[in-house]
Amino acid sequence: MYLINELIALLAVNLILMQALGTSTLFIAADNRRNLVGTALVITFFTTAGSAAAYGINSALPEKYSDLTLLFYTLTVGILYLLLLTLMYFISGEKFRDIRKYIHVSAFNCAVMGTLFTVSGNAAENAELNTFCSFVWAGAKAGIGFIIAALILTAAYRKLNSAKVPASFRGFPAMLVYLGIISMAVYSLK
Amino acid sequence: MNRKPSVFDGLLGDNTVLSSLMVISPVIVCGNTLRSALALMYAFSAITMLSVLISSFVPRKIPYAVRIIVYAVISSLVYIPVRLAAQNFYPDSIEQIGIYFPLLAVNSLIVFQTEAKFFRMKRIRMIGSLVFYILGFDAVMLVTAFLRELLAYGTINSKMTGITVLTGGLAQPFGGFIFLGLMCGVYRWIRSAFVQTRSEADVSDK
Amino acid sequence: MLKKVKRERFVWLDTMLTLLTLELMAYFYYGPRALALAAVCVAFSLAAEIVSFRLMHREFTADDLTCTSDALIIALALPSVMDYRIAAIACVFAVVAAKNVFGGRINMIFSPAAAAYTFMYTSWGRELLQFTEPHVRLGVFDKADDLVSSASYTFNVSRNMDHTDFELLMGNFSGPCGAVSILLLAVAAVILILRRDISAGAFIGTVSGTAALAYLAPAANFRSDSVKYSLVTNMVLFAAVYIVSDKRIAPKRNYYAFFYGLFIAMCSYIIVLTTARENAIMLVSVLFTPVALGFKNLEKRIETAEKEAAELAAQAEAAAEVSAENAAPVTAEEVSADE
Repeated sequence: MYLINELIALLAVNLILMQALGTSTLFIAADNRRNLVGTALVITFFTTAGSAAAYGINSALPEKYSDLTLLFYTLTVGILYLLLLTLMYFISGEKFRDIRKYIHVSAFNCAVMGTLFTVSGNAAENAELNTFCSFVWAGAKAGIGFIIAALILTAAYRKLNSAKVPASFRGFPAMLVYLGIISMAVYSLK
Repeated sequence: MNRKPSVFDGLLGDNTVLSSLMVISPVIVCGNTLRSALALMYAFSAITMLSVLISSFVPRKIPYAVRIIVYAVISSLVYIPVRLAAQNFYPDSIEQIGIYFPLLAVNSLIVFQTEAKFFRMKRIRMIGSLVFYILGFDAVMLVTAFLRELLAYGTINSKMTGITVLTGGLAQPFGGFIFLGLMCGVYRWIRSAFVQTRSEADVSDK
Repeated sequence: MLKKVKRERFVWLDTMLTLLTLELMAYFYYGPRALALAAVCVAFSLAAEIVSFRLMHREFTADDLTCTSDALIIALALPSVMDYRIAAIACVFAVVAAKNVFGGRINMIFSPAAAAYTFMYTSWGRELLQFTEPHVRLGVFDKADDLVSSASYTFNVSRNMDHTDFELLMGNFSGPCGAVSILLLAVAAVILILRRDISAGAFIGTVSGTAALAYLAPAANFRSDSVKYSLVTNMVLFAAVYIVSDKRIAPKRNYYAFFYGLFIAMCSYIIVLTTARENAIMLVSVLFTPVALGFKNLEKRIETAEKEAAELAAQAEAAAEVSAENAAPVTAEEVSADE
């Protein structure tokens, strides 16, 4: 019972189904399983590490400079982006060429930046969520949400790109309608 | 059949939202009233135009990853005066738009398409093309917001109309997904009537 | 191929017969308005289907009449007093957005009726969940004065049911006009399963999943009551027959279909139990569409693997035969012939 309620709760705050963040990245990632896993993992890394950094930025930045939040978040994601690229370059060597495309696609992405703003917004509304652990957990949950949405899309990927679908709706339009109907079901259970 | 790219592509042939699926989250979530749409159109147009123009002066010798970060930082800086101005023009809408306002600053048109599309053109052509890509977004935003507001709330720019059966769900994100998906299909259908495009069926379902 | 087409038509005919029977029962309880509502749904579904086929440059054939059975399912899931315009919009949504956008009946993803129900639930929840009492017969253009909540709502909130078993069996309690006739639904389920028109696995999975959870985590004071009322309320039986067990959506193999039905039943029961959300099974069945698709993908892989294994086995057998022929000992006759 707990698991099912948690699953519904996780879907109800899903960054793609409920906020449409990172939808185009998802469409690109769902193309094949390898892309999907790679992109989902990298996005989860960025949302988790980014949220941890966002906690630091929010704590350090005075209220009157709140308009600079985006700039600091961008710099943070930029640093993470470079760090991850460098790390992968030294760790995986030959595979770096394959891996870096996931990093490029995932870094400056609505899913990542949207998560940082959503997590910060929730913390501003509810003081209990304004802790380092809450930020990290919320970032990780956003990444898991992306993975769930990706799995939902992958299940129907063949059918949505099938030659049986009218040419005008084949691919992206059908994917949007499909995600919309799933999102509608989640909304109705929220 | 490959046709020659045109400056007007961003508006019709390769629409920013309907064809390239760029910057779709604000359209899906915030494109449900004309007021929000106008604020978003202003923000998107100002941020994208200024950011891409300034970014075009960034030397190409810098490594790709660093260039991307520089573009994002430039747009984050452009965002600050744009937001301050928006607080005067659209104080209510800014609240409603919420996180989608800053997210416009890291939209893929600025961060990725600059490299893939705009910086390969001569500056004058780039500006022309950019204007039409921005207009492409604005047009879709306007049409979406108009129709969704009319059908979901029965109003046009907050003024009541005589519609009695209101489809409230259309104002929700899922309504945005479905509406945009249908609009995308209709756009492609109309486009295919004028331009013969390659079939995109690449996956067999057998 | 011809056999498959024939089969599809028989499935549609059987389903229509059971749905029309339920419609008759709805007429008995709610009067001509229930029939008019069904007519509106069928007319708009047909119109939407024909128009979208024109736009897709496809020919409309007798097989495409399946949209009428979906329309009847939608009509039977509504209160008889539902605004005709809302029902019409829902039917157009079911045909266009939930079906034909994905290629129509040859490439089904969602149950059109379930998607349309969810659409109405999110946009017109109040209208969808307010009913007239049975035997309040309304004319085609009448409007009801007194609307009540459904018996499902009362049960979800108070964990109590004020109706006798006979009333429950006959559908003599407030609720969607066709989804409360329990006896007829049970008969329809048996007929459709025996005729192999619906997925037996999915149906058994849904019913057994609901019954098992209702027994283990009772929603009423007595376990037997919990099982009984959980099966008859919240459109569980109706959805089990016409939505979850829809062969176009459910996995092909009964084994997988059973688990698909079981998951839907368990999830919707828990939602009803914890949030008292009415008719959750209709919403959950839409949410579980990716699960059905996942199972179908798995079935396809298994089929491919089985085919490959059979081909390999045939090849190995042929190779063994050839080598056996080559290695066969030379007979005395062959030796003498050589000489």
